[in-house]
Amino acid sequence: MLTVRGLTKIYANRYDAHAGGVRDIEFALPPGTFFTLLGPSGCGKTTTLRCVAGLERPDAGFIALGERVLFDGERKIAVPMNQRGIGMVFQSYAIWPHMTVFENIAFPLRVAKNRRYGREEIRTLVDQALATVGLAGYGDRPATRLSGGQQQRVALARAIVHRPQLLLLDEPLSNLDASLREEMRVELRRLQQQIGITAIYVTHDQAEALAMSDLVAVMDRGRIVQFGEPRAIYFRPESEFVASFIGAANLFGGTTVAAVAAGGVGTLRLDDGGEIACLFPTGSAAGQAATASVRPESIVIAPAGAAAANGANVLRGSVNAASFLGANVRYDVRVGERALRVIGSAEVVFPPGTDVLLVFPPQATVSVS
Amino acid sequence: MSASGLAERAAPSRVPWLDFLRQDPRRLIAAVVGVVLAVLMLPPLWILIQDSVTTTDAIGDVTGWTFEHFRKLVTDRDALRSIWNTLVFATGSTVLSLISGGALAWLVERTNAPLKILAYLATIISMGTPYILHVIAWLFLLGKIGPLNDLYRQLSGSPDNLFNVNSMAGMILIEGFLWSPLVFLLLGATFRAANADMEEAARMSGASVLDTLWRISLRLAMPAILALALFVFIRAIGGFEVPALVGMPGRIFVLTTDVYEATIVVPPDLGYAAAFSVVMVAIVAVLLYFYGRLSKHAERFHSVTGKGYRPRPFDLGRGRWIAGAIIIVNFVVVLLLPLLTLLWMSLLPFLRGFSFAGLSALTLKNYHTVFHAPGYVDLALNSLTVAAGAATGIMLITALAGWIAARNGPGGRWLDQLATLSLVFPGICLGVAVMEVYLRVPLPIYGSLWIIAIAYVIRYMPYGMRYVYAGVLQLHRELEEAAGVAGASSLTTLRRIVAPLLTPALVAGWLFIFLIANKELSIAVLLASPGSQVIAVAIFDQWVNGQGGELAAFGLVWTVLMTIIACLFFAQMRRGGTDVFGN
Repeated sequence: MLTVRGLTKIYANRYDAHAGGVRDIEFALPPGTFFTLLGPSGCGKTTTLRCVAGLERPDAGFIALGERVLFDGERKIAVPMNQRGIGMVFQSYAIWPHMTVFENIAFPLRVAKNRRYGREEIRTLVDQALATVGLAGYGDRPATRLSGGQQQRVALARAIVHRPQLLLLDEPLSNLDASLREEMRVELRRLQQQIGITAIYVTHDQAEALAMSDLVAVMDRGRIVQFGEPRAIYFRPESEFVASFIGAANLFGGTTVAAVAAGGVGTLRLDDGGEIACLFPTGSAAGQAATASVRPESIVIAPAGAAAANGANVLRGSVNAASFLGANVRYDVRVGERALRVIGSAEVVFPPGTDVLLVFPPQATVSVS
Repeated sequence: MSASGLAERAAPSRVPWLDFLRQDPRRLIAAVVGVVLAVLMLPPLWILIQDSVTTTDAIGDVTGWTFEHFRKLVTDRDALRSIWNTLVFATGSTVLSLISGGALAWLVERTNAPLKILAYLATIISMGTPYILHVIAWLFLLGKIGPLNDLYRQLSGSPDNLFNVNSMAGMILIEGFLWSPLVFLLLGATFRAANADMEEAARMSGASVLDTLWRISLRLAMPAILALALFVFIRAIGGFEVPALVGMPGRIFVLTTDVYEATIVVPPDLGYAAAFSVVMVAIVAVLLYFYGRLSKHAERFHSVTGKGYRPRPFDLGRGRWIAGAIIIVNFVVVLLLPLLTLLWMSLLPFLRGFSFAGLSALTLKNYHTVFHAPGYVDLALNSLTVAAGAATGIMLITALAGWIAARNGPGGRWLDQLATLSLVFPGICLGVAVMEVYLRVPLPIYGSLWIIAIAYVIRYMPYGMRYVYAGVLQLHRELEEAAGVAGASSLTTLRRIVAPLLTPALVAGWLFIFLIANKELSIAVLLASPGSQVIAVAIFDQWVNGQGGELAAFGLVWTVLMTIIACLFFAQMRRGGTDVFGN
């Protein structure tokens, strides 16, 4: 169980007024969770990770791993990084080039302070770690003669060889090419579940975050703006930032016509005219400003004369551009002054200039404010 | 190429080689620069070899072949002892400077030790101080009337000295301090460029600071440390100031002082000096070969750094204050003590030890002399002119040669080899060789400042080359290719694209050469004559003549001037983001 409370670390930035860092970070992870910190660059996700690792000293806050307090700003507790017993994979892998693969992985065992490992024990543990990451038999290789994917695996083996309770991964896939990245994504997730370790994963790639995680925290400008399961993050974004950062989103600004209870469907009067039905996860008062988000793939594109299901939102527009992407077609559709993004099936194509109907259910039209 | 393609070309000239040059204008540049470099670089090496295996008559014409010089060198016990002394001296001072400068570099670049500014201050000021001034200050400090021995005599009551500075130990100590700032600078760059992830990964694996330092940081830096050790070793073999001022009075000779002795005796034994020089050049050439291989190896360990890179120093905890103390001690030893000593010497009418009685005798007379006697102003102007001229010449040549070499242009490898050839010469050997060459050339430059300028150009050409080379490599090749695609000829590209972008590297190289040319004694010591003095030689002569007070006053004024230029140099390096030394 990892608990983080009120974690704050501010950098005075000399170059512009905005001070970097993180503020009031809070989360608690049950054992075995794969947790992802997701956000654009500079949002503070790496800083958060480095504070947990002990590579940075927070200004304030509380970090505990199980019963063990790693950092407490009030009681002035700060366990040095080398005594935290955490495994970490660096973005650059940081494979020491002057050692063999075996020595790289054996390092945490050799420098361990709490117990001495015998020669045989080290061999066994390193071989196990190598086998776990699928590199059995690579021990004698010089570390400089490894491909990017292999370095990645060595870094992972080194991070888990001393059986830490927590594994930190700092954008570990960002230096790999696309196909390898997909493969390692699955592999990492499988390994994490096999070992049953709690992992914190930092990335700016939303597909990675959604595919691998049990829990995701979306960060923006030093704060966690949404915390939840991947599906909730995707389908129930709580802010415009989350809606547009996780996948593309069509945003509709307007005012609520009548009060809506939490989780109820209400009517949103759009600022540029027209009304749509919309889901309010947290409810809304009458006359309150609200923004609704609709995913492009939630919108069905239909010929101008088609009939719509009862209760669905229907907008009339005309196709501005259509890009055939293989699996589907991406449209830019002009509705009044508004341009909407729509993903349509690849079987039917509406060429530019065609008048179309856009149909989307209220359940997929989510108020984000 | 098709027939029509040939036909469309401009009418071929009658002279085929002219046509060859026209096809690629860089060939013309390469040819011109190559000739200039060859004329400068080859004759000194040739003449040294020739002198070492020939006999000459009174006016210097070759009269026959002989191996007598080498035989004498191999059978002479003194010569063998000099070789042994050279090795001991160079090894000892290399180890000392690596330990003191290296420890300082690590503390300053990779930890949160306090008072780091002192280390930079010591480095900047020592960049501007002629080596010989440091040596003189140390001679005084450790010498018979110096405070160390004085204190010992007073405490012990014995008339003997604690420490004889004119010994191998004294030589090693002083030479070691001389090189320590350079080691600090170069290793500092290595530690700064190191990927902090490597160290953090060790810390996350459970290693303590010392474990990490020993098992990771030092091992990763080892190729760079070895390369630097070899570099300092080579420089110490060619070192002249310390052997001449500290060693010779104690009858301890090394190769450089042997060469010097053989050249200044009447009549000069140039064959013997040349033979010594050839031995030194051979040793240095072999070492340089290994140096080249080592530095290549050092680059292999350069790993990619992760994003969001910023220096992340180790937290030393309470050890911080020990580290601070080390930095202070270094500052006092490398900078403060020598400067205070010079100040003391400059304020006294004659040389005497530190004492309260001396305080009443303090006078500014020496400074008055320095600013009002015409000799000193002329001397300063001479030195500045020669150094500036040489630096300008070098940067003009190497801007072209370095660009062609770095871009694998026509003859690039040859230009590189030629321009860096003089690395094999220790300063004193180059002095002998240049003297010999220009005694025989029917140009009236022997005994003028020109010959010193030429020697500087030859000697420091490799540094200019390194600065330009590194500067060009930092420019993305596509910047030039884009100009070419846009329709610019390679000359236009050089003028409009390469030259402006290369300016920071050129300025930095110019300042570096300007500083180092005014620092070293060994090249000019054989070439300067009464009418054409430069600073280091004048100080040397004054020391030998016992004019310590004026020398110290002048030396301090000069140091202030050079420190200002050294500040410009470091400012330029910081802005340009280039490595401090091209090495």
